[in-house]
Amino acid sequence: MLSSLVTSSRVLETIDERLMRCGVSRRAFLQFCSSLMIAAPFGLPITDKQTPEEVAHGLGKVIRPPVIWLHFQDCTGCTETLLRNSHPDLGDLILNIISLEYHETLMAGSGKQAEETLAEAVRNYSGKYVCVVEGSIPTGEKGIYMKLAGRPAMEVLHDVGGKAAAIIAIGSCASWGGIPSADPNPTGAVGVADLLPHKTIVNIPGCPPNPYTLLGVVLQFAASGSLPELDEERRPKFAFDRNIHEHCPRRAHFDAGRFVKQFGDQGHREGWCLYELGCKGPDTHAGCSTRHFNEIPDVWPIGIGAPCIGCTEKSIAFRVPMFKVVQIHTPANPPDTYAPINAPQGTVSPVATGVTGLVVGALLGAGYVASRKFSTVRGDESAPGTQSPPSAGPPDGGEGSEERK
Amino acid sequence: MQANHAGSTLVNHWQRGVPVYREPVVTPPLLFFGALAALGLALALVRFFSPLGPFAAMNDAYAWGIWKTFNVLTLTALGSGPLAVGMAAWVFNRKKLHTVMRTALVSGFLFYSTGLIALGFDVGRAWNFYNILFPWRWNTHSAMLEISFCMPVYAALFLAFENLPLVMERFYYTGTDATKAFLRKCAPPLRRIYPFMVTGAYVFPLMHQSSLGGLLLLAGDKIHPLWQTPFLPLLYLLAAGLCGLGFVTFILLIACLHHSRPIDLGVLGELGNLLSCASFVFLAVRFGDLAWRGQLHSAFALDKWSLLLLFETALIVVPAVALRSKVVRETPRTLFNMAMIACLGGLLYRFIPTTIAFAPAHKAIYFPSLPELLMTVGYISLGIAAFGLAMKYFAVLPGDIAEWNYMFRYVRARRAAVRAEGETTWPASPSTR
Amino acid sequence: MSRGDGITRRQALMGILGLGGTVAGTLATSAIAEEHPAHPVAPPDAVSMLYDNTICTGCKACMVACSEANGLPPDTTLSGGLWDTPTGLNSKTKNIIECYKEPNGAGFAYVKKQCMHCLDPACVTGCPFGALKKNEWGAVTWNSSLCIGCRYCEVACPFEVPKFEWDKWNPKIVKCEFCFDQRLKENMQPACTGVCPTGAVIFGKRVDLLAKAKERIAASPGKYFEKRVYGEHEAGGTQVLYLSNVAFDKIGLPKLGTTSLGHYATKVTSVIYKWLSGPLLVAGLLGTLIKRNWDAHEAERPAIERRTGLKEQL
Repeated sequence: MLSSLVTSSRVLETIDERLMRCGVSRRAFLQFCSSLMIAAPFGLPITDKQTPEEVAHGLGKVIRPPVIWLHFQDCTGCTETLLRNSHPDLGDLILNIISLEYHETLMAGSGKQAEETLAEAVRNYSGKYVCVVEGSIPTGEKGIYMKLAGRPAMEVLHDVGGKAAAIIAIGSCASWGGIPSADPNPTGAVGVADLLPHKTIVNIPGCPPNPYTLLGVVLQFAASGSLPELDEERRPKFAFDRNIHEHCPRRAHFDAGRFVKQFGDQGHREGWCLYELGCKGPDTHAGCSTRHFNEIPDVWPIGIGAPCIGCTEKSIAFRVPMFKVVQIHTPANPPDTYAPINAPQGTVSPVATGVTGLVVGALLGAGYVASRKFSTVRGDESAPGTQSPPSAGPPDGGEGSEERK
Repeated sequence: MQANHAGSTLVNHWQRGVPVYREPVVTPPLLFFGALAALGLALALVRFFSPLGPFAAMNDAYAWGIWKTFNVLTLTALGSGPLAVGMAAWVFNRKKLHTVMRTALVSGFLFYSTGLIALGFDVGRAWNFYNILFPWRWNTHSAMLEISFCMPVYAALFLAFENLPLVMERFYYTGTDATKAFLRKCAPPLRRIYPFMVTGAYVFPLMHQSSLGGLLLLAGDKIHPLWQTPFLPLLYLLAAGLCGLGFVTFILLIACLHHSRPIDLGVLGELGNLLSCASFVFLAVRFGDLAWRGQLHSAFALDKWSLLLLFETALIVVPAVALRSKVVRETPRTLFNMAMIACLGGLLYRFIPTTIAFAPAHKAIYFPSLPELLMTVGYISLGIAAFGLAMKYFAVLPGDIAEWNYMFRYVRARRAAVRAEGETTWPASPSTR
Repeated sequence: MSRGDGITRRQALMGILGLGGTVAGTLATSAIAEEHPAHPVAPPDAVSMLYDNTICTGCKACMVACSEANGLPPDTTLSGGLWDTPTGLNSKTKNIIECYKEPNGAGFAYVKKQCMHCLDPACVTGCPFGALKKNEWGAVTWNSSLCIGCRYCEVACPFEVPKFEWDKWNPKIVKCEFCFDQRLKENMQPACTGVCPTGAVIFGKRVDLLAKAKERIAASPGKYFEKRVYGEHEAGGTQVLYLSNVAFDKIGLPKLGTTSLGHYATKVTSVIYKWLSGPLLVAGLLGTLIKRNWDAHEAERPAIERRTGLKEQL
């Protein structure tokens, strides 16, 4: 992989060389490496190091991978989120870490120039470049709903994506269809994996997703030619193996049962848990609860008091109503409640007690009534209940029984 | 008059079993108990296809509900009539008691059958019970295993066998000549094995009635020290004996009351006497055990447990003492009352350590739920209804020979009368012909 | 066979039964009940857990690890589906941390509850088909193909550990099994001891952990209640050992004698039923008497039947 990159006709420099050439400070690069380490603490060999210096050392040697970035039915939000980092100016860093060959929003050229750039990049780095796809692909009516230079998006994807070494579908739209695929999905919008199921695809869903997830994937690919471990939905495990609920800063409020009942109430002002407002955190896999957005702490939906809408999840985002409460599937034991020693067990049904009392009373009563029917005369062997009242009959039951045969 | 009691004027009214023949088979009480039984069995069927939890009020602290503790552990004491009366009749040769053996046998069989049905619907994984067929899988240390094997074999083999004669008798008298010939051929081999079956019919209940007490030994300190004792098996056995005797007395009196049969105070007095002796033996062991374990002081401490013990003891000691008197034994009402009270005492003794004096560590409470109660009542009603039917179809309830002869002619004549579509009026009692 | 010469075959049979029963009985009474000795001995490979509540922080990682390793669903009955809040061991909880709070609010103590894996378990003694068995490492395990759901184990266990799945149609008995199938067999320690962050509960051989516990007591004489290890002798000894700074019964560990319940319950029956000597003896005795009475009864029968004109009723 790497060797073929080196022997291509276009010379690609290492990241260190590029940073030096562009005058990016070492400090800025180290800050970038720290951010990368926070973004991908586990499961990523390039960041699995003790210090940012070590990460920087490793990264510096990496040859800048060529990246072709396609836009289809998108809002460009994923690109925007990549650019919304200013400490340091990530825009610069991104352009220095990766070799961005084609990007409709960021490139200077347009029209024929842009088309030629794309064609050239595809030709030069065929089989080696990483194709990043942003936005869903319409499949309705033979895909006429989105065309790039006169060609339907489906065709462009097959062409450019088909020749890529790996495809990264950034954003929920590219991962599974996103907003355009919401009911009734008039354009037949689908994600990349629905059209190219047999290609190596990494889905990074989110609306928008965390930029460092993308960087981690791309850099790993560049450093070792391999992609990080993916789950069944082709999402990198290092970023999507946990759900919002497990790492939410408001979890203590959930565990203690402090819920916001409506927007603006006292609980809302105090930052209580948004579960009862329909927060989809428990069902949503993403890292937003630890890595917030725009590099400002608490700049993320829950942080500003809006319940999570589950934007990464195909079954939730733009399908389940935003304020509908979800079930908790992995309830954990809250830290401040304990079972008492030998808790009480069992309940008593008042109806059963009443019925039992009646029945027992009835039986005892019946026993008493029955006993009254028996003779009190000693030796009286006549059929019980048929004898005359105790006052009649033999004066004492001991002596002979002339009356009887 | 066929007096054969030296020095007494009691008449030997009970000479053989005679079916109850002057009443229709279907009566309001039968319908009532039959309806309760049907309800209980329907609920049992529903229970079989649903989890135990929602149905019953049992919980992990009180894992045994009234089906086990009442229908099996407690009521089978009442069903120990065949054991107690049988041993008195066949081992200790009290010949008078042979006439009431059938009543004891039928009631015992029905108590055991309904108790086993209750047990069958109480276990949670009944499909694994086939393991009983593989002796190498038996845990021979377990009292529960002993009961699982001994009680069904006793009921299905020995008790059923002992009830065969009265069934065969009916077929003999109502059957064709071929049936009669067949039954006559069957009789000798059955007679040959009869003493051995009777032996088994006493050895088996001696084992499982004591094992029912043995079950509670493993509960250890969960049972209050006034009831928990290594003598539990023996005490349960003795309680079974006294309940068996008491219940047979009670049921004979009630049946004679219901069907207007003369009673035989000679036989009943004998039963009362045996009941009194059995009660004294029970009390001796009970209080001897309390003394030996140093629990006598807490037995009289007059706290709630002591009062419960004293109440249960009173229910047994009062009849025991009263029945020493011949007057009490020969007066129907007092005999009935004492037998009833003794039964209650024995039942209470067997029930208390299973539930009332059973205190698990958890602050738990148990009271049966309505479906549980209805099923218990259903099983008991099934037994009562079946007993009522048995008395009408088979010669169970004792009467004298004149009654038997009269019954024969009555039944034959009614059949003829029905065939001839005319009714014959018959005199009300057998003595006027 | 005529009654005049010698004994009949039946009499001989009865005699043999009686004699045989007597002989067996004599032999049996001299046999000691070895299967349930008064003071059971731990198997040589006995594993053990030592729980020290002075180290426990109540983090409940052991509960989470146990649920995960055993595939147990959370118990959310009290929380309306939000939290796993069991109030004790139950059919969804094999291991639980309970908290004792002093009445005046002065202090508290945690306790970890699970199966004690007794050396002579009452549940194993009572289980009719041996569904609950103690294996070579001492772990008490449950076998679903032998269990009939009679719940005798629940009645027998002095620690009230086995729990029944009341809400299932195919109910299991749920209790800690030392993670035998999932982990012990693969040479891994149980999930709870493996995850405990402070070492409050540790896993090892019983002899080693008992020694270690005693070392701790010796090292801090004032710390531990009654300066002893709970489970060393309780109910004959258990394979889960406890060290506590508060009274054991306050944290729900019952006061128990030093003999096992199995010993108490089988003291007499193991002698009476050895080789079925008791029943055989009684059968022989009763049989002899019954046969004699029966023969007399049969001898009288023809005369009675002739006199009354009716067949005898048995």
